[in-house]
Amino acid sequence: MSPIVEGFSALLDPMILLCIAAGALLGMLVGAFPGVTATMAVALASGFTLSLEPLPGLAVLLTIYVSANFGDRVPAILINTPGTPASIATTFDGYAMARKGKAGLALTSSAFASAWGTLVGIVLLMVAAIPLSRLALNFGPAEMFALVVFGLTMMIGVSGGRIVKGLIAGGFGLLLATVGRDPITGTPRFTFGASELSDGIPFIAAIIGLFGIAEVMNQILVHRKGRGVEPIKDFGRWFPTREDWRTMFKPLAIGSGVGGVVGIVPATGGDIAGILGWDQARRLSKHPEEFGKGSLEGLTAADTSSNSTLGGSVTTTLALGLPGDSVMAVMIGSMVVWGIQPGPSLFANQPDLVYSIAGIMLIATVVALVISVLRMRGVAKLLELPQHFLWAVILVFCMVGTYAVNNSVFDVAVMLVFGVVGLFLKRFGIPPGPVVLGLILGGLAEGNLRRALEIGGPANILTSPIALGLLAVSALALLAPPLRNAWRARRARAAESTTTATS
Amino acid sequence: MRSTTFRLSAAALAVTALTAGCADRGGVSEDASDYPSQEVTLVVPYDAGGASDLAARTLASEMEDTLGQSIVVENRSGGAGSVGLENLASQSADGYTIGYLPVESVMLGYQGYEVDPVDYDLIGQMVSVPATIAVPADSPYETLEDLVEAARSEPGSIAVSNSGAGSIWEAATTELGQATDTEFQPVPFDGGAPAVTAAVGGQVDAVVAGISETAPAHADEQVRVLAVFDAEPSESLPDVQTATEQGVDIVIGGWGGIGAPAGLPDGARSTLEEAFTEAASSEDFQTIITDSGNIPVNVPSDEFAEFVDAEYARFGELLEGQD
Repeated sequence: MSPIVEGFSALLDPMILLCIAAGALLGMLVGAFPGVTATMAVALASGFTLSLEPLPGLAVLLTIYVSANFGDRVPAILINTPGTPASIATTFDGYAMARKGKAGLALTSSAFASAWGTLVGIVLLMVAAIPLSRLALNFGPAEMFALVVFGLTMMIGVSGGRIVKGLIAGGFGLLLATVGRDPITGTPRFTFGASELSDGIPFIAAIIGLFGIAEVMNQILVHRKGRGVEPIKDFGRWFPTREDWRTMFKPLAIGSGVGGVVGIVPATGGDIAGILGWDQARRLSKHPEEFGKGSLEGLTAADTSSNSTLGGSVTTTLALGLPGDSVMAVMIGSMVVWGIQPGPSLFANQPDLVYSIAGIMLIATVVALVISVLRMRGVAKLLELPQHFLWAVILVFCMVGTYAVNNSVFDVAVMLVFGVVGLFLKRFGIPPGPVVLGLILGGLAEGNLRRALEIGGPANILTSPIALGLLAVSALALLAPPLRNAWRARRARAAESTTTATS
Repeated sequence: MRSTTFRLSAAALAVTALTAGCADRGGVSEDASDYPSQEVTLVVPYDAGGASDLAARTLASEMEDTLGQSIVVENRSGGAGSVGLENLASQSADGYTIGYLPVESVMLGYQGYEVDPVDYDLIGQMVSVPATIAVPADSPYETLEDLVEAARSEPGSIAVSNSGAGSIWEAATTELGQATDTEFQPVPFDGGAPAVTAAVGGQVDAVVAGISETAPAHADEQVRVLAVFDAEPSESLPDVQTATEQGVDIVIGGWGGIGAPAGLPDGARSTLEEAFTEAASSEDFQTIITDSGNIPVNVPSDEFAEFVDAEYARFGELLEGQD
C-alpha cells in the first residue's frame, strides 16, 4: 500500500474523528477568546493528550491549531479585537465591513478565505516538504534581517493613506520595540527595574489594548457625547455572490503565495503573513483606496495569507525537526515524548505518518469551515445585546484573557495603558496598524541585524544573495510609487500642454 | 445609558481585580500535621509547553499521588525566568506554594535581577541537561581540538550560537574559551531551536545547546556533536566523547529542581521531600524525561543545596565582571 493510502486510512478510527471534533470546538472557542492564543491552548491541551496514543493526540493538537485560526476572525470582525495575533490584519477591513452593515458577508468570506489558505498550506506539505525545508535553512540572521526590512516598507501601506501619521505611528512602534533587555549583551533598556519588561512589552496585552480596549473606551466617550453609534445589527447578506467570488479570486491567489513563503521561513507566523498578504494585495489591487475601509479583497488576502502559513510551519517542523512557529515548538515537545522524532528521517521511516498529519489537518479544516458557516448566526446574536452590556462583557473578556496569558496583573495594566494609547491614536486619526508592525518587526530587525554583524560583520549581509535581493526589492517598494506618481504627473502636464497648444 | 455603561465597566474592573486577588492566596494558618489540607500551587517560571514545563508538570502529577492533594501548575514567564522566581520568593512559606528552580536561579542574581538562591528552601533536583557543542554536518572541524585550534589561530573568529543573552549556554561558551585559553564569539539567538537551526544551516561555526536539542539533529546527521560537557558519556550520544575525555575539563549544563519560599515549616518540608523523592523515582517520570532527551536524576535536598551553593559560587566567578 502506498503511504498516502496507509496514512489516510489510519484516520478512519472513530476515536480519531472524535478527537478532531473535540479539538475543533476547543480551538474555535480559544480562538474567539481574545488573549488566549493557539500556542497556549495547545500547550495546555498537551498536558492531557500525552496519555493518548500519538495519532489521537496529534488529532486534538493539530485541530486546535487549525481551528483557532478560524475562531480568531470572529472578534476581529465584530469587535475590532484580534482573537489571536494571526488575525491582526483581519481587523483592517473586517471591522470596517461590519460597520458598513456587511458583517455577515465578512464572516462567511473570511471563513472561506481561511479554509482556502489552510488547504494551500497542506498541499505544500504533501507535495514539496523536503525541498521547501531546504529553502528554509538558507534563512540565517542576514536573510531574516533583509526580510524584516522588506516587512517594514509596508508601514506606508498599512497607514491607510495617512502617510505622515502612519510613519509617526510606525516610529512609535519601533521605539516601543527597544524596551527590554538588549538581545546581544543582555543590558536592560527602558525597563525601569521591572523584570516583566525584560522580554519587551508584552505583545498580546499591547494588541488587545490597542484594538479592543481602545474601541471600548471610544464607545464610552461617544456615548457621553450623546452621539450613539449604530450597533452592528444589520448583517446584510451572508453568502458571497458570484460577483464577490470574482473579487476574491485575486487576493486568494496573492494571499496563498505570501503565506506559503512566510510559513516556511522559521519563526515567522500568521501575524506577519496576514499583514504582508494584505499589503501585497493592496499594491496589486485595482482599488487600493478601498483597503482599510471595508474592502472584501483586503479581508480575503489577510485571512488567506495568515492561514497559508500553517502548512509551511508544519513542513519546516516535520522535515527539519525545527519549529516553524511557536505552536509547533510546543507540539515538538509532545511528539518527542510519543517517540516521533521530527526531522529528515521521519519522511524516510514513517511517510504514512506525514500523510496522517496532513489528513488530520484536512479534516480539521473542513470541520472548522462547517462550524464557522453554520454557527456564525448564533455567535452574531450576541451582538444584539444592548451596547452597554456588550462593551462591558468585552472588557471583562479582554481582561481575563490577558490575565490568563501569564497569570500577570502587570499584563492587564499594560493592556489598559495601551487602551488609552490606542484611544489617543484613534482620536487624532493615527492608524494603529503601523504601531503593531513596528512592535513586531522592530525587535526582529534589531536582533537579526546584530546577530549578522556578530557573525561576520557587514560582509555577512553583503555577501548573501537572498539578503541583497530582498533589500533591493524593499528599496523598489519604497521608491516605485513616488517615481511612478512623478512620471504620471509629468505626462499629464505634457498632455495638457499639447492640448492647449493645439487648441 | 451613559451611567450604565460606566457602572458596568467599573464592575468589570472590580471583578477582574477580585479574580486576580483570589489567585494570590494569603497565608494559611493551621496545624502543621494537617499538611497538605488544600491544593498546592507549583510556579513554573517559563511558558507552558517547554522542556522545563514538561518536567515540572510530569513531576507534579506524580507528587499529587503521594500528597493526596492536587498540584496546580502556574506558568509565570518573563525576564529569563526572573518574574516567576521573584514571585515564588515573595509567597508565604507555608508549603502551599512551591516552584520549579532552573539553573538560572543561580545566574540571574549576577545579571541585574532580584534573584538570590538564599530566598528558597530546596526540596530536590530532578533533571539534568548537559551542555553539548555541535558543528554543521559539513564543517571542517572533526574534533573539539580542531575547533579550539581554529579559535586560537584567530581568537573571536569562531561564531558559536546559543539560545539567548545571559543563558547557561552562553556561559558555557565563555567557560570553554577560558578553559582553552582562547575566545569564541557567542551569538545569542531567540531560543534554543533557532540557535541549533543556525548551525544546521551553516550560518554559524558551532552551537552550544542542551543535549535534548542537539542529539536528535546529530542522529539525523544535520549537525555533528563534538563533545558533551558532562562527567559521563551520554546514552543518547553513544559515539560522542565528553569534553573531559578530550582533555578539556568542563562539566556544565542546565538543571532543574523543586524549591519553596525560604522558611518552610518542618512538617511541610519533610512531606514535600518525601513526595518529591517518590515522584522523581517513579517510572513514569523517568520515562517521560528520558524520552524528551534529558537526564532524570533524584538528588535529595541536602545534596541539592550543596550543589546549588557550588553553582552559585561558580557563576559568580564566571559572570561577574561581564556585562
